[in-house]
Amino acid sequence: MVTQIIGPCWSVKRLGIPDSQIILMIADDMACNPRNPRPATVFNNANQHINVYGDDVEVDYRGYEVTVENFVRLLTGRLPPGTPRSKQLLTDEGSNVLIYLTGHGGDGFLKFQDSEEITSQEMADALEQMWQKQRYHEIFFMIDTCQAASMYERFYSPNILAVGSSLVGEDSLSHHVDPAIGVYIIDRYTYYALEFLENVDPHTKKTMGEFLNVCPKRVCISTVGVRTNLFRRNPHQVPITDFFGSVRPVELISNVTVQPLVTNKTQKKAPALPKKYRYVPPLVDFKYLV
Amino acid sequence: MPWFILTSKSDRFSEELLIKPLYSDHLYVHFQFATKWDTNPDQESFRHTHIFPRALGEIIERYNVQELHVSLAGGLWRYETWGYPILDAAPGAEVWAWFKADTEDVDKNWKELASSLSGLLCASLNFINVDNSVNPEYTFKPRGVVSDQKINSTYVRYASLPREIVCTENLTPWKKLLPCESKSGLASLLNSGYIHNVRYHSIAIHMRPVCRDDACEFTSLELQQSVSLVYDYLIMGTKNWSFRKLFGQGLMGPCPLSENSVIFVDTTSNVSVPFQLIPSPDDYITSVRGGHVSTFAKYNVKPYAMSINANYLGKESVLLNSPPSLHANQYITGYGQERGGIVTKIYNNHWGALEVVVLQNIPWYVPIYLHTLKIDVNGVRVEPVGIHYIPGRQRQRPYHLEILLKLPPRSVASVSIDFDYVFLKWQEYPPDANHGFYIGSAVISANLPLARNFTGLPQDGATIADSFNASRRGYLVQVRTENMVITLPTPDFSMPYNVICLACTVVALAFGPLHNITTKRLVLTVKDNEKLIVKIKNRIVKAWTERNSGSDVNQSVQ
Amino acid sequence: MPAEKSEKYVENRPEQRCYKTGTILLMYTVGASIRYWLIFSRYQSIIGNHIEVSTPLNSWKRVSEGLYLQSKGINPYEGDLLHEAPVTMLLYRTLTQSLKLPVEITFLIFDIGTAVLLYFIARRYMFQLFVQQEESKEEYSEDSKEFLLAGPDFLNSPVFVAAAFLFNPYMVFNCVGLSTTVFHNFFLALFLCSMLYGSILLSTVSLAFCTMMSLSKIRAFVTVGVFILVMVSLKYISTVLSNGDAFIKNVYGFILTVPDLQPNIGLFWYFFTEMFDHFRDLFICSFQINATILYLIPLSIKFRNDPFLLTTAVLFLISVFKSYPCLGDVGFVLSLLPCFIHLFNYSQQGFLVGVIFLITTALGPILWHLWIYSNSANANFYFGVTLAFAIAQIFLVTDILFAYLKREFCLKNGKDRKIDGKDALLILE
Repeated sequence: MVTQIIGPCWSVKRLGIPDSQIILMIADDMACNPRNPRPATVFNNANQHINVYGDDVEVDYRGYEVTVENFVRLLTGRLPPGTPRSKQLLTDEGSNVLIYLTGHGGDGFLKFQDSEEITSQEMADALEQMWQKQRYHEIFFMIDTCQAASMYERFYSPNILAVGSSLVGEDSLSHHVDPAIGVYIIDRYTYYALEFLENVDPHTKKTMGEFLNVCPKRVCISTVGVRTNLFRRNPHQVPITDFFGSVRPVELISNVTVQPLVTNKTQKKAPALPKKYRYVPPLVDFKYLV
Repeated sequence: MPWFILTSKSDRFSEELLIKPLYSDHLYVHFQFATKWDTNPDQESFRHTHIFPRALGEIIERYNVQELHVSLAGGLWRYETWGYPILDAAPGAEVWAWFKADTEDVDKNWKELASSLSGLLCASLNFINVDNSVNPEYTFKPRGVVSDQKINSTYVRYASLPREIVCTENLTPWKKLLPCESKSGLASLLNSGYIHNVRYHSIAIHMRPVCRDDACEFTSLELQQSVSLVYDYLIMGTKNWSFRKLFGQGLMGPCPLSENSVIFVDTTSNVSVPFQLIPSPDDYITSVRGGHVSTFAKYNVKPYAMSINANYLGKESVLLNSPPSLHANQYITGYGQERGGIVTKIYNNHWGALEVVVLQNIPWYVPIYLHTLKIDVNGVRVEPVGIHYIPGRQRQRPYHLEILLKLPPRSVASVSIDFDYVFLKWQEYPPDANHGFYIGSAVISANLPLARNFTGLPQDGATIADSFNASRRGYLVQVRTENMVITLPTPDFSMPYNVICLACTVVALAFGPLHNITTKRLVLTVKDNEKLIVKIKNRIVKAWTERNSGSDVNQSVQ
Repeated sequence: MPAEKSEKYVENRPEQRCYKTGTILLMYTVGASIRYWLIFSRYQSIIGNHIEVSTPLNSWKRVSEGLYLQSKGINPYEGDLLHEAPVTMLLYRTLTQSLKLPVEITFLIFDIGTAVLLYFIARRYMFQLFVQQEESKEEYSEDSKEFLLAGPDFLNSPVFVAAAFLFNPYMVFNCVGLSTTVFHNFFLALFLCSMLYGSILLSTVSLAFCTMMSLSKIRAFVTVGVFILVMVSLKYISTVLSNGDAFIKNVYGFILTVPDLQPNIGLFWYFFTEMFDHFRDLFICSFQINATILYLIPLSIKFRNDPFLLTTAVLFLISVFKSYPCLGDVGFVLSLLPCFIHLFNYSQQGFLVGVIFLITTALGPILWHLWIYSNSANANFYFGVTLAFAIAQIFLVTDILFAYLKREFCLKNGKDRKIDGKDALLILE
């Protein structure tokens, strides 16, 4: 199931979003788990053998750090002082945020770590706090769990486009099992979503509307739920790279003149005075103690 | 591509790789990246850095760190069969740091340093806190140079997180601290799919001030980054190793920013288990250190693709393992979840006495009883030379025990201490409470007089080349033992409301009668013999007869 | 005069036996030898390690740890294993190291001393009851004369009390398990004895000692002035002994804030294990109030005529509701019960209470073993047993108090329960 979360991460990185703008929370250690016969690898499906764990994945919250409290604090920005930048969601009113959640869920909740849940009301309140603090311009909320649509039913903040892999009362089903590992590695909705994204390149003209239709009922078995009433634009006119990619225009300049920096500072650091330094013997000699 | 030859810049970078076949069917591979920056660590603001990673520099400057040692390891280093590594690391995460003497609040700086490191290395180092850190008195002295005469151990902190795993997400930011990242040079060999498929994997960062020159009147900042791997021939499939099998690719060229880029292959074992190196080495080096001779084959990294293969010639002798001078184990005794004991067994295989310091950092949820400390050497009770003990407090401080022992020659010392199992509040249990709680490894430090099977760097050196012919008075080893797991008894996590209701019911059972007794008086009242149900029945009957009699009256009227 | 009267009663009722001195001494010897045998047998460690006998407050293992740390120059109150006051640590150090007595013999001596004190307590109380009875004879109605106590009762009760202490398995385990409740009970018995004999100084000193050891006794002070003086001086001595005030947090803070959640026979541990953090302070306060001052004033007002009964009832309630009870506390108050032999006719729940005590005492260790060693039960089982045990104790104390009220009523108003010829009930309202 870690493919579920690494797959989209890998896709968005491929489309241009840098690591510094991705926050990844993984509760279980799968790739380097002693039971993984191919350590440090997570393949997106049993056939294609693309190692989505790759060589440049950065997990920001892992293990016991993945709690409901940390997730809500991350979204709302109320983190304790001293939290490193890679663990903060540094967005502002112009940022488009993609939130992807996966795991085990039910009617109105998503399970965290076998011991707690986040309810749809808490999720909605956290997003409303984000809106009040102007921490996003638009949010695309993707959730792939059982009864996923219940999580976005309670949203009440504007500019949120939400898609869930199943409606209330339905279960999301897995796609296939990797017999070497013995677990189902990816769910149907995410599998088809990733398949769609693999055919997208950074200059694509594809729209979010096409993405929302990516998994019809005959392949997904569960009905994909979509909520568009909070979203101001028409999804069919929103390019997919608004959320999944980041295209930063780069201009190459051939003529460069470098002006030397004129420093008016006359104060200089006082040169270091020579002192007597020594290495400390690493272990105390017992004869000084007895 | 324009090359900026910066002769005025004051930092130098070197990268080395050591490949050493170990006694059992294992291969030790160690990457050593060393940066030395001739700047004054006390005055440097880290605004303009060249080779030295700025991300690390900002952290050091902000938290007033004098020395920093971080290591993340997966797997256990088997001292009995593998000897000593170049740099030791405890399983899990281990961080220790010396702060500068003008630091005001060491605990606050330590906590924030751990938080910043957790963001830098993508590990959960933010769990390091005052309640699992100790300040060791004897074990972790400064490795770098100091100018004060007296070392004050209030400025050092040590913590270990045995539960941490090390995976690609830690390697990726670690690689970004190198000057060439993983694009060229030896670091390009660090492909996570290959280097995690090993018996032992550890990445480390060590930063300290060193002497700038022999006169040692000025200091420089030195940064060592290392990756230690132990490959298993069984997993590789064959004993004939090559770069392709170890790293998945060959080497494309050195890092342009490095001063020297070399590969050493330890050929000391070539005598007993001969193998042939292809291509031939550029040079052979003999190192006499501490009475032991080792031979190395040296390769300079060429600016074109290269790879090293080793072919074993099949003439194998039966090998006898001579265990190293000092190694140790740690385990838990006792049954049930009420009380137990921790035993650390230290083996001295040297022909002389050894002075060791045993550091135990025991978490606060394992309360130990110092009066049950027993040290048996070869079955005979001995007293230690000294004990430094700071008792722990629940939820505030761990138990810090340092024992100074003199081990007689060729002996086995067994240090045992009893502890109780505690009962925690229900929210203090992790989500997988029945997995257990970890107790970190013990650190046993000693100065060995001989350098047999010893590859550690000298205190004034930073590169593998510095360790050749580096005979010193003593060779520091800090042996780490295994971690231990204890299963603490758990309450029923589904019961909070039930427990509150039941306990309050009992309280009410006392309150009610006592309230009655104290506020009411005993009086005699007429006994009302009728039970409630009889009363109801009578009332119903009465009402029924009244209705019937009413209708009768009506009827009779009509 | 009282002695003469008692002898006259003996003459009038020759059919009731009185226990001779020889029998009493034999009883003490047997009690002491049971303890001696068990304490030096291999069952000592099993009994001593059991959580019903040794709690974080009274475990001798922790005292040894404290003594060892003190001998090594480390302040034992820096850690949080030790919860004994510095004055008591001084006492233990004197007993074990200066006087070089074996620890087991010390415990044995103090336990037998407590038994002796209890004998005198009971005798004095019986004497006071007798005096009171004689004085208020004319208030009693005619047909309730048979409920009055007679001579043999006065002489037998102390023997029963001593026997209840010596042969009570709770007290045997308490002594054998080397729990410092032995010392605590000794000082408590000293306090009760001196209270009954009217010696103010001794009673306040021993009460102060008691309070120093365990905060809960602070409720039952006799004279405020002397008590405060003694307390202040003891506190000063403690501060000097322990080089600082760290012991306050360790000893009293520990009792009040309940940080250690080791299971015991009380109600606190599981409650606060499962408590949400933000309610913790509220419930700590309410439980401590419940354990200490809630019933003090109402019961004092109602039972002001019989302070010894009041003290016993208060001790009972403390042993149920305190934060770290142990079998020693329960056993001590149980052994005081034979003093109230005159109330047993009126108690209604004796059989129920007795059976619950038997069952929970037997079931407790079994379920503990299943939870901790066999890993097949869980904490709820043991918690259920402690709840039942607490309920039994509560039933016992309320029954005794109610019996007292009924007896008083009957003595004043006679045995008949009829109003105008109709049957009447005795109820509270």
